[in-house]
Amino acid sequence: MEKTMMQEQLIGEGVGFERIRRITGYLVGTLDRFNNAKRAEVQDRVKHDTMCCSLTEEHTA
Amino acid sequence: MIQQIVKRDGRKAPFEIEKIAGAIFGAAQASGGQDYEMARDLAGQVEKALEIVAAGETPTVEQIQDTVEKVLIKNGHARTAKKYILYRNERTRVREMNTRLMKVYEDLTFQSSLENDVKRENANIDGDTAMGTMLKYGSEGAKQFYEMFILDPAHAKAHREGDIHIHDLDFLTLTTTCCQIDLLKLFSGGFSTGHGFLREPNDIRSYSALACIAIQSNQNDQHGGQSVPNFDYSMAPGVKKTFRKLFRDNLAKALEVFGADENNEIDAKALTERIELQTGKWACLAGGNGYDEAMAAALAETLDEKNAARCVAFARKYADKETRKATYQAMEALVHNLNTMHSRAGAQIPFSSLNYGTDTSPEGRLAVEQLLLATEAGLGNGETPIFPIHIFKVKEGVNYNEGDPNYDLFKLACRVSAKRMFPNFSFLDAPFNKKYYKPGHPDTEASYMGCRTRVIGNHFDPTREIVTGRGNLSFTSVNLPRIAIRSHGDIDWFFEDLDRKIDLVIEQLLARFRIQCNKRVRNYPFLMGEGVWIDSDKLGPDDQVGEVLKHGTLTLGFIGLAECLKALIGKHHGESDEAQNLGLEIVSHMRERMDKASDRYNLNFSLIATPAEGLSGRFVKIDRQKYGKIDGVTDRDYYTNSFHVPVYYSISAFDKIAREAPYHEMTNGGHISYIELDGDPSQNLEAFEAVVRAMKEAGIGYGAINHPIDRDPVCGYTGIIGETCPRCGRHEGEGVPLSKLQKLGLYKELNSMTLGYHGDPAEEADRQPNELKIVKD
Repeated sequence: MEKTMMQEQLIGEGVGFERIRRITGYLVGTLDRFNNAKRAEVQDRVKHDTMCCSLTEEHTA
Repeated sequence: MIQQIVKRDGRKAPFEIEKIAGAIFGAAQASGGQDYEMARDLAGQVEKALEIVAAGETPTVEQIQDTVEKVLIKNGHARTAKKYILYRNERTRVREMNTRLMKVYEDLTFQSSLENDVKRENANIDGDTAMGTMLKYGSEGAKQFYEMFILDPAHAKAHREGDIHIHDLDFLTLTTTCCQIDLLKLFSGGFSTGHGFLREPNDIRSYSALACIAIQSNQNDQHGGQSVPNFDYSMAPGVKKTFRKLFRDNLAKALEVFGADENNEIDAKALTERIELQTGKWACLAGGNGYDEAMAAALAETLDEKNAARCVAFARKYADKETRKATYQAMEALVHNLNTMHSRAGAQIPFSSLNYGTDTSPEGRLAVEQLLLATEAGLGNGETPIFPIHIFKVKEGVNYNEGDPNYDLFKLACRVSAKRMFPNFSFLDAPFNKKYYKPGHPDTEASYMGCRTRVIGNHFDPTREIVTGRGNLSFTSVNLPRIAIRSHGDIDWFFEDLDRKIDLVIEQLLARFRIQCNKRVRNYPFLMGEGVWIDSDKLGPDDQVGEVLKHGTLTLGFIGLAECLKALIGKHHGESDEAQNLGLEIVSHMRERMDKASDRYNLNFSLIATPAEGLSGRFVKIDRQKYGKIDGVTDRDYYTNSFHVPVYYSISAFDKIAREAPYHEMTNGGHISYIELDGDPSQNLEAFEAVVRAMKEAGIGYGAINHPIDRDPVCGYTGIIGETCPRCGRHEGEGVPLSKLQKLGLYKELNSMTLGYHGDPAEEADRQPNELKIVKD
């Protein structure tokens, strides 16, 4: 296990991030496997806001 | 005088002698000849010979070419004849290459899955491997064969032109879609998967291993997925048997330690048999059934009371601990197996789904708890498992409210789902699910395939409205947006044409069903041969399967309700109440048609909100070609799934749930609603749970929550990654200095040993340093 003085060993060059997404009900580890239509759909997906409804919130006038 | 010829496509064309002369001259040139006059003369001979050969009929191209060859050879032009023949064969080969199927094969062979969309039709299959490609060869060839020779031409045309989509067309003559597998029934007495008999399992680890084998075997008999509708109930006997064995084994150890018994194992076995006979019970996880007391009393016959008590306490303590550990390891192995084993000629991992959450027995609860913990821990490097699909069955009085016996499991399910996107949640209290539910009868608990397919009602046999041993037979989807486009806003015409398409689909489903009925038990060695499908255990290997198949569903599906509404009235149902009302009318009408068909044919017709992976882009592509780019309808590369509010439409989680819920009731063949969350829900479990509860209260049948799960393989960070990894700071593709990783506590041994592994919590706490002793002879 040597560490050279001048050059340090780099780990992970060329290694991407895994992005797990749900396709039609099941998960796939990478968008590479999605067909073109599903890819386009994933691109379009917006997030759904959960802020508005709280049953315990009291509305003051 | 020959006037006409018949071309290969059947059309007639004028006979042109110069064309024959030209072909002969070309062949002659290829072998060094220069004489066009001779070619012209030979062509004349060909014409005369043809008049005899054709005998008054119009000659075909093949006849002409045959005659040319004969004439050339007769005149001694052997080399020219040879060139002509070779050229003709080459042309034939090129022509065959150009047929659609061969082009498809060429693309499959030479293009990577990146370039070839067809290779990515099913994301579960790696289209770049030999097996994946071979599967595709078979699939494309089969489809062509069916279109040409098996399908009714009207159905083939409708499919080809994109009015309908016959799903899994490649398996048309072969099998059915899916099955909800009752493991309890399968394991009882043991089973076989082809060679050799597998005894009834006796340990939770065997239960889990055989569950995987059952799923893998079934995958070879059907083209869809495999689900276990009652996973916790199925694993509970394994936990029971394991505890019983471990109690006895640990009792033996206790006898040696506290009773100085050198015959401890034999004595433990004898005692166990005696107490089991006496009490009619086994040693069990929860205790409290009188067994422990009876055992202590029996021990007190030979030991003093204190030691007798110690033995029982020891046996219980370690039986408990080891059972938990064994159950965890069994579930961990299950998750690993279902993510790595290959089926279908090695081309894909079985599509597996597990339903659970309602077994309140201590053993069933333990199995669920450990399955969830193993899923939370992840695979070898902490990765999120892709399979199985988990479905937690939410039920009031069982797991939904504080005080319910399995409430802790519901909370744990939410915690795990917030991290791993599984489990999904099904809701047994939705009115359309609740009506089948009989307490104490798990096979009346609505169950879903991971993809969303639902089979519980039974029109064919109303006494068997159960989930176990049943599944879908086939499904065909209708192109709703197209009907809307063609209607030009005329709603009445829309419904008329919809009815015409539904008529066609019912016909087509029945035609396919007839083919399926003619199959025999031996065509399904596992599904029927082992009695997995309902009532197949009553059939012999050469019996036809038609009668028992009637318990399955024949299903109409649909895609693009949103685009359909947009085309009809200019708005989709996410943005307009008017559109929502029309949408509900359309879908309930389709359901009505299916109910009527069930009545008429005494079969199980149902309506599904089509999952649509391969289909998502197919219809819109054809429609854009046919009708051009229509705003909000054909201007994207996909049609919105089933009755979903479009993914691009900004709407709150609760509003989306409210909009989609009413459609769940109508789609008795299967449905699902998704919510996309921003951020990492593990950091806000309250919001996560609120969404699940909103689903339940709205009458949703099956729901799932999506959030981004990113992972950096280098440092193992799992969560949300934007441009750079939050743990090690690298960009995608960038290298990180080893020293930096070591500072983070990783790569201590220059390997992945300390990288992201969450491990077995029970085992890690137990780890003790190993003492080294020098042993002298």
